[in-house]
Amino acid sequence: MRKTAKQAKRLLRLFWRGLREWCGDAAYESYLRSKTRHVGSCHTLSQAEFYVDQLNRRYSRPSRCC
Amino acid sequence: MKRILSVVVWLAVGLLGAGALGAIAIHRGEPLNAMWFVIAALCCYLVAFRLYSAFVAAKVLALDDTRATPAERHDDGRDFVPTNKWVLFGHHFAAIAGPGPLVGPTLAAQFGYLPGTLWLIAGAAFGGCVQDFVILFCSIRRDGKSLGQMAREEVSERGGFIAQLAVLAIMVILLAVIALVVVNALKSSPWATFTLAMTIPIALLLGVYLRFVRPGRVLEASIMGVALVIFVVVAGQWVADSPYWSNVFTLSGLSLTAAIIIYGFSASALPVWLLLAPRDYLSAFIKAGAIFSLAAGILLVRPQVLMPPLTHFIDGTGPVFAGKIFPFCFITIACGAVSGFHSLISSGTTPKMILREGHARFIGYGAMLLESFVGIMAMVAACAMTPGVYFAINSPTSIVGATATVGAATISSWGYPLQPETMTNLAHAVGEITLWNRAGGAPSLAVGMAQIFSNTIGGPRLLSIWYHFAIMFEALFILTVLDAGTRVGRFMIQELGGRVWAPFGRRGWMPGILLSSAMIVAMWGYFLYQGVVDPLGGINSLWPLFGIGNQLLAAVALVVATTILLKMKKLQWIWVTLVPTVWLVIVTMTASYEKIFDSNPRIGFLSGANAMAAQITAGKIASERLAETHRLIFNLHLNAVVTAVFALMVLVLVVEAIFQWYSILTRRREAVLHESPYIATRWAPNFSGATHDAVVGDAMGDD
Repeated sequence: MRKTAKQAKRLLRLFWRGLREWCGDAAYESYLRSKTRHVGSCHTLSQAEFYVDQLNRRYSRPSRCC
Repeated sequence: MKRILSVVVWLAVGLLGAGALGAIAIHRGEPLNAMWFVIAALCCYLVAFRLYSAFVAAKVLALDDTRATPAERHDDGRDFVPTNKWVLFGHHFAAIAGPGPLVGPTLAAQFGYLPGTLWLIAGAAFGGCVQDFVILFCSIRRDGKSLGQMAREEVSERGGFIAQLAVLAIMVILLAVIALVVVNALKSSPWATFTLAMTIPIALLLGVYLRFVRPGRVLEASIMGVALVIFVVVAGQWVADSPYWSNVFTLSGLSLTAAIIIYGFSASALPVWLLLAPRDYLSAFIKAGAIFSLAAGILLVRPQVLMPPLTHFIDGTGPVFAGKIFPFCFITIACGAVSGFHSLISSGTTPKMILREGHARFIGYGAMLLESFVGIMAMVAACAMTPGVYFAINSPTSIVGATATVGAATISSWGYPLQPETMTNLAHAVGEITLWNRAGGAPSLAVGMAQIFSNTIGGPRLLSIWYHFAIMFEALFILTVLDAGTRVGRFMIQELGGRVWAPFGRRGWMPGILLSSAMIVAMWGYFLYQGVVDPLGGINSLWPLFGIGNQLLAAVALVVATTILLKMKKLQWIWVTLVPTVWLVIVTMTASYEKIFDSNPRIGFLSGANAMAAQITAGKIASERLAETHRLIFNLHLNAVVTAVFALMVLVLVVEAIFQWYSILTRRREAVLHESPYIATRWAPNFSGATHDAVVGDAMGDD
């Protein structure tokens, strides 16, 4: 029983994480992680700067299909 | 033992799928249950994924998990973001799934359920999925390069330029035709118009929230937005019941055209965070919710399919659109089976986010299978309606007649009994003034979806709410494609213009932004306008034009893929992309020829123009309608020219490619692949010893 509850909790956590990544909620965290992997690269954007930068990039190429 | 069990299971799945397909194909007489469609489609998709995509992955492409993908090599947290394969599957599916697989099969239902269903399954398994998968693979091997760049490098300079030009031209027609679907769905419907209009202030509110209050908190903003949208769907009923507000939101086709053109211009010229992005977030959530709800609804309700397997309209005399089953069934279904536009996504965002080459199979091939399943559900929803009702909603006045009595008599004479009061009662039940002549696919799909949803939750009492929810869902994500497409079109025009005059190419230069936005909006706006004033309802001429353009783009993508396979020395497997290429070229060239030259004025643009000109000469057109008729003649000539240009562009590219293939096969030219050099991944557990999670961080949680 406890094992099932633990597994359900794990699945829910995975789903929540996936949902946040899918909709872009976790994009800034992902960006910060990437910055820590590449120490020494150019300045780190604030969350607000990153949000606008991200949108401008995404919507300057085909992002939605017919 | 495990292997034997696996063989037995897959054999059972295959046999079940074959049995269900057989039942659909040979069943005659009594209505067929929709579950047969679901079983047939799911089993075929499973077998195709398990066997065919595995074969393509292993033998044809030889996917290599030890090779670092662009996401690993250029990981910058912005464009190149290593992403979990399930999340990327969701991203990719949300990007490729548009209105096409919903509207196309709904329109193609006029041939009966059989041809469309078979093409949705077979076309996706052997054409659309292969295209998406192979182009994704090619782009991964080239640092995420676009289709145009790959065409330029692998086929020829001219080939690349043609591919880029084809994308812009096809995008203009795509935007016009999807806008026309929205106009036809909202025309004379205050409830639906109010609901959709309210999504604009909701999006603006979310935009400001996400920019200034809680930057980037997409999930919480989207939950608020979805709640507000559901509220305005319900509130639309009060608007429709109020004589004053109902009058305010009852708009003609031309007024809606003007409103959508202004909207498209605003979304393109305004900052992206203000209107376009928040609307896209709303649309993505509602789209995912509506598609899963439709699937659940079909499984729970298991509706009977009332449309016959084949109608006599396969002879080309169909009221929804004119043209025989070949080639027009394939042109009309378009995105549900094969979509050229997917190649832009497969060579756009997705290859820059993929973690391992091996994921390309699941994401490229698998997401297209899911899109095809959406098409199957749309086909079921359309065919679950009484055929008489389906034809009443989708046929233009000029075919069925202007009044309900005449319309019902005409449709009954085709062998699909319909009483005038059936349509009146149905319109009343869904909260509409009328459902006659609402060509475009969206209203009939909404009726089908509403019937399925209301049989699951709420019963007939909620039919009107479900209908307007379905209309809002379709219109919302069509407008998302429209505004995102207009913006991309604006950038393409700025890029082209920048070659002539440099300041025009600067993305932040306001006069350039305004002028290029106006240009792209004027282009699709004109085609939208001509669709709205077209006496045959616009869909008859514009949807095939869109289908031809879309399939031609798929042919372009497959030509590029075939060239790359040849250069990879995969001659023995080249049929994997060559067969769908040849099929698409045959289908689109036949359709192009018929749309231009067919002697039936409902099919051929030129004969349609000649028939109108003859009417003017014979004095059959009243003097006050002369100017309008001359404009219609001009539009038909314009459509003929556009079709010819599409066909010509692709023919030039095909000839270029054949010349290239011949040179390579006869060793007159060296086969130079423009792949990025091999770099070993640091993330493959068996390669460097470092697990992926250790390097990328626990949050990535691959597999």
